[in-house]
Amino acid sequence: MFRYSATKRIISNLEREPVVSNLGPTSDELWHASDRDRNFYTYGSMGLCSSIALGMALSCDEKVISLDGDGSILMNLGTVATIGRESPANLIVIVWDNEQWAQTGHQKSHTAFGTDLEMVARSNGIEKSFTVADEEELDSILLQALNEDGPWFIVAKIEDEAYLSVAPVEPEYTLHRFRQTFVDNPERVG
Amino acid sequence: MTWAQTIADALKEHEISLIAYVPDSSIHQVTKIIDKDKYFHLVSATREEEALGIAAGAYATGRNAAVFMQSSGFGNSINAVAGLAIPSRIPIPMFINLRGEHGEFNIAQVTMGRSTRPILDVLGIPHYTLDSEERLGEKVKGALKLCYASREPLALCMTPLLHGGKNV
Repeated sequence: MFRYSATKRIISNLEREPVVSNLGPTSDELWHASDRDRNFYTYGSMGLCSSIALGMALSCDEKVISLDGDGSILMNLGTVATIGRESPANLIVIVWDNEQWAQTGHQKSHTAFGTDLEMVARSNGIEKSFTVADEEELDSILLQALNEDGPWFIVAKIEDEAYLSVAPVEPEYTLHRFRQTFVDNPERVG
Repeated sequence: MTWAQTIADALKEHEISLIAYVPDSSIHQVTKIIDKDKYFHLVSATREEEALGIAAGAYATGRNAAVFMQSSGFGNSINAVAGLAIPSRIPIPMFINLRGEHGEFNIAQVTMGRSTRPILDVLGIPHYTLDSEERLGEKVKGALKLCYASREPLALCMTPLLHGGKNV
């Protein structure tokens, strides 16, 4: 499975659901797939993608999708425990697992040596945890996740692919644009 | 009114209803009030940078959120402040218990405690030291108002003079 193609497919299944993306190519590909006002791109704070999504899921009634990565979530496995403890029914975590830190020189990550993120999620009480290897499987689990209570934790095994251009994203602008879709009263200025 | 209740009331006044934290024996005086009050959702994080991520997500969906941590935990969360809250302009009030102040018994707490305010200065984050109950409500409410007006993280550093410290 290739991440950009799968990302486009995920977006085609969504309506207004908020999406948080891990830093780097995952955010770039989300932007290229569709620059929605409900996208929250991260460009720093590696490891926090699913923590941010957890904060969103605890604060809104809609399904929230986290597009995380193996390297990122390995940096913050504690948040899997917090997701299990809080157990928000509206959170869907998708972990793109290429078993490496691709951007920094393709160094192998721990998932290449047996760390099983699905089992990590299960052992933290997230029963709806799955590993998928192709787009059709991902598609069918995502459709289920969008319609049934979670939390959901989906490990999506992906292969290497060429990177797209860096998305011209201004974090202050995208945060503001995202937030404005949730608040009734626009922030006062001045 | 106790200092802890004053802080809990100030949070409510600013509609801060999600609190992400890592436990600390001194700030427990506040977090136990928050935990009992249905207005708040107290989220126990495993690490302080995670707490900042959770608070950022809450704010992004229109809910005000604050974090509580110890100065050692502020050390754990600097990149979440510098790489998320500051560039995205996310106002997150950070209540930090300053360890390493007078009365500290643990040498391992001294350096991070002593470095916390200088690091906040280098990051350009406004911070206020809470070391007395005198005018506490005014100080906290004013700081929270500034935090949301400026849309940037802000720190409220609590010392043993406020909360009594930890003796063992």
